[in-house]
Amino acid sequence: MNPILTVARKEWTDAFRDRRALWALFIGSLFGPFMIGFMFSQIASQQKGAQEIKVPVVGREYAPVLVKWLTQQSGVEIVDGPADPESAVRDRKADFVLVIDKEFAENFRDSRPAHVDVVSDVTSQSTRSKVSRLNSLLNAFSSETGSLRLMARGVSPVVVNVLKIEQIEVATAQQRAAMIFNFIPMFLVLALFTGGMAIASDSTAGERERGSLEPLLIIPIPRWRLVAGKWLAASGAALLSMGLTLTVTLIVLSRLALEELGIRNHVGLSQILLILAAVVPMGLVSPALQMFVSCFAKTFKEAQNYLGMLVLLPTLPGVITVMYPLTNRPWMHPIPVLGQYAMVTEILGGKVPSPLALIAATFVAVLIAGGLLILATRLFSSEKIIFGR
Amino acid sequence: MIHAQNLRKQFGDVVAVEDVSFSAPDGAVTGLLGPNGAGKTTSLRIVYGLLKPGGGKVEIDGIDVAQRPMAAQARIGVLPDISGLYPRLTAREHIRYYGNLHGLQGAELESRIDKWVEILSLQEIIERRVAGFSHGERTKVALARALVHNPQNILLDEPTNGLDVMSTRAVRELIRHLRAEGRCVVFSSHIMQEVSALCDRIVVIAHGRVVAEGAADDLLALTGKTSLEDAFVALAGPHGEAA
Repeated sequence: MNPILTVARKEWTDAFRDRRALWALFIGSLFGPFMIGFMFSQIASQQKGAQEIKVPVVGREYAPVLVKWLTQQSGVEIVDGPADPESAVRDRKADFVLVIDKEFAENFRDSRPAHVDVVSDVTSQSTRSKVSRLNSLLNAFSSETGSLRLMARGVSPVVVNVLKIEQIEVATAQQRAAMIFNFIPMFLVLALFTGGMAIASDSTAGERERGSLEPLLIIPIPRWRLVAGKWLAASGAALLSMGLTLTVTLIVLSRLALEELGIRNHVGLSQILLILAAVVPMGLVSPALQMFVSCFAKTFKEAQNYLGMLVLLPTLPGVITVMYPLTNRPWMHPIPVLGQYAMVTEILGGKVPSPLALIAATFVAVLIAGGLLILATRLFSSEKIIFGR
Repeated sequence: MIHAQNLRKQFGDVVAVEDVSFSAPDGAVTGLLGPNGAGKTTSLRIVYGLLKPGGGKVEIDGIDVAQRPMAAQARIGVLPDISGLYPRLTAREHIRYYGNLHGLQGAELESRIDKWVEILSLQEIIERRVAGFSHGERTKVALARALVHNPQNILLDEPTNGLDVMSTRAVRELIRHLRAEGRCVVFSSHIMQEVSALCDRIVVIAHGRVVAEGAADDLLALTGKTSLEDAFVALAGPHGEAA
């Protein structure tokens, strides 16, 4: 058997017997998808609560103006209220009830405060956002009508507005949801870093620490083959972890009602293949980088510390793009990590990255991985690295 | 057969090996004897090709190690100073891994493994993971791993260091067995008794130089002493710390 495969197989066998590392890898791969699922469902539930409310009204015949105004607001549906509003709310048969006073019309006509009751239960968490929507609608009706009345009397309605409060929420729900898509490439790249970490450090710094490197290097095999075998094993584990993350993410996405958030789920088989084409090259780079860095560490622990810092690297562009949504530009594509972010967000948004971008990204990744492996091979041949303790 | 000529190695300002030459013939056991820090391990590392000598050259079965390191390494089996194992692999997997890397596989490899299991009495531990093995068991696994490709030349760096009596005996028997098969065995030690009990030829190294070479009687004659220990102390100089 080819020595590269022999080495790779040994490193896999060795790594997969380390139960703790295996569990860490498994849980690490699932963390991202579940975060994404959680964030989506948060937005979805907020969205739902605010958008659609059914308002049970008792005495709608007394206030046709108010009822008509309410029906004109988006997402509001007026239904007939229960006979006994208070017990209906107390028994949770209704979330809340709007009760209009019999003398509403009369008071309204004479510009006296017209009475309405909002019957609600403050201990009911789930209805709170709906009640507050209703209250703000009633306030809006009140101030609109008040302004009209002042104008009719020749007074500028501005005088009663002491404060002018405006809530500026720039992100629509759709934008916020789309932003979560930006996390997907981050978690995929993160999985590539965490997945190969154990093998990359154990097969280099760990091998040195145990003193198993010296006898291994006496076997007449070109050093680059040893390095390549170790890299192959680490890369395989990294890609496995990424594949797990991607699979679970896709399952989570398919379970979510993205359409309700105004997002179309574009992911089909061709998108999955495109995502893989965009991300897999990075799986060649990350273990090579980790092995190169681990060569400088004297112990497995020391290597893990370095690699822990290295893991922050792929989250950096992720954090930046989440806070300052970068517009994807062609120059980003070949840059490792950044390119994966750009291409995956494009693919999830329903676009197809140009074949040139994919080829360039792959080319650059192979180049960097190859360069790092050559450097790692040099280090493996250095007397200081082999015997330095 | 191993020829080392005028080996020299310097690390920074420290001269670890100044001038070491020796020959180790086939069918004999050659002992490198010297106090700690005399340059034995460094000399051996040059012989098995992991350190580049600052001067001098090594030939293994006529192959120049500096020029064709891999051809030379194919003809040697080495138990280095530190021979780490992989805690999660079984003893058999260790030997098989090295066998595979030497290009052996299948039934031939397994029968060779079984041979070493027999010689080194590994029957009870061969299928167990090595985590928790005693020092003696680890050394035996490392030996089997180093010898699986049946090398003609065998280099053992302090093989009995820290072993209990039983394991030491097993290693000595192995060395005699290898000699009987006509192999060239070189082993280093700082223990006088070890060397005198096993070696056909003794190379005394002190302060990075070969200070004497020959059979035990030759060394006695050379120094005019009656015991090997006195001879060794006389040869290794006032700084000698071997016993």
